[in-house]
Amino acid sequence: MSTTVSLIDRLRSRIGVDGEAVTAIVEAGHVRRFAQAIGDPNQRWKTEAPPTFLVALAPAAPHLEEAEEYGKGWLNGGNRFEYLVPVIIGDRITARGHVADVYEKEGSSGNLLFIVFETEYTNQRGDLVARIRGTMIRR
Amino acid sequence: MNLRVGEELPELVKHPTTRQLVQYAGAQGDFYEIHYDQAYAHSVGLPGVILHGLLKAAFLGQLVTDWLGERGKLVEFEVSYRGVDVPAHPYRCRGRVTNVDGENVDLEVWGEDETGRRTTVGTARVQVSA
Repeated sequence: MSTTVSLIDRLRSRIGVDGEAVTAIVEAGHVRRFAQAIGDPNQRWKTEAPPTFLVALAPAAPHLEEAEEYGKGWLNGGNRFEYLVPVIIGDRITARGHVADVYEKEGSSGNLLFIVFETEYTNQRGDLVARIRGTMIRR
Repeated sequence: MNLRVGEELPELVKHPTTRQLVQYAGAQGDFYEIHYDQAYAHSVGLPGVILHGLLKAAFLGQLVTDWLGERGKLVEFEVSYRGVDVPAHPYRCRGRVTNVDGENVDLEVWGEDETGRRTTVGTARVQVSA
């Protein structure tokens, strides 16, 4: 139990601390492969990124290695996307993420550890284009 | 644009395959083994390889953008993954209008398996052009 408490304390100490920023170009080939992978033939994705594409450019909720001593596997709990400016092929996007919350909850088959991430995506003009929240669960 | 509360979105039925899971793993860059390695998936107590939550989110995103077309834009989209889904079974994406307030329209969206169990539930807000 003490190990679990100290792990949660360690993870909680990261709340609000910015992770390393990731910058990447929205490439036509990548968007095409992504649209093919999700099976969405909309012609619009020849110029614009589909709604969930940004997670492929920079993960919105990474698997934190240091949390892996808890439970035996990861599950994705949910995602929230806020869209401010369309993401167009050729954009240079910078993603900055941080841990927004860490908590433990009793599940039907044992305790679960929740890690909530929030990532902001900015384009080459400095406009915030999207904010994505992701909840990762260790069980 | 005439939208009424209760209006249903045309449903979108997806037929995910293990090939699609590998394709998605590559396109998203998510190489967690539960999505392509059956033995690994069993070892962590899953029924077999499962769909990426974010792939199901992408399906629901398509449900909304197909329905909306050029009539407006997606502003907010939230999904919660309540249950696991395995490939080789159809995945039905559905939704309906829950609120209309001027140009802001709220939707309820969900994905269900072939037994009708809602394994992904969510909401979306779209802004329609006047």
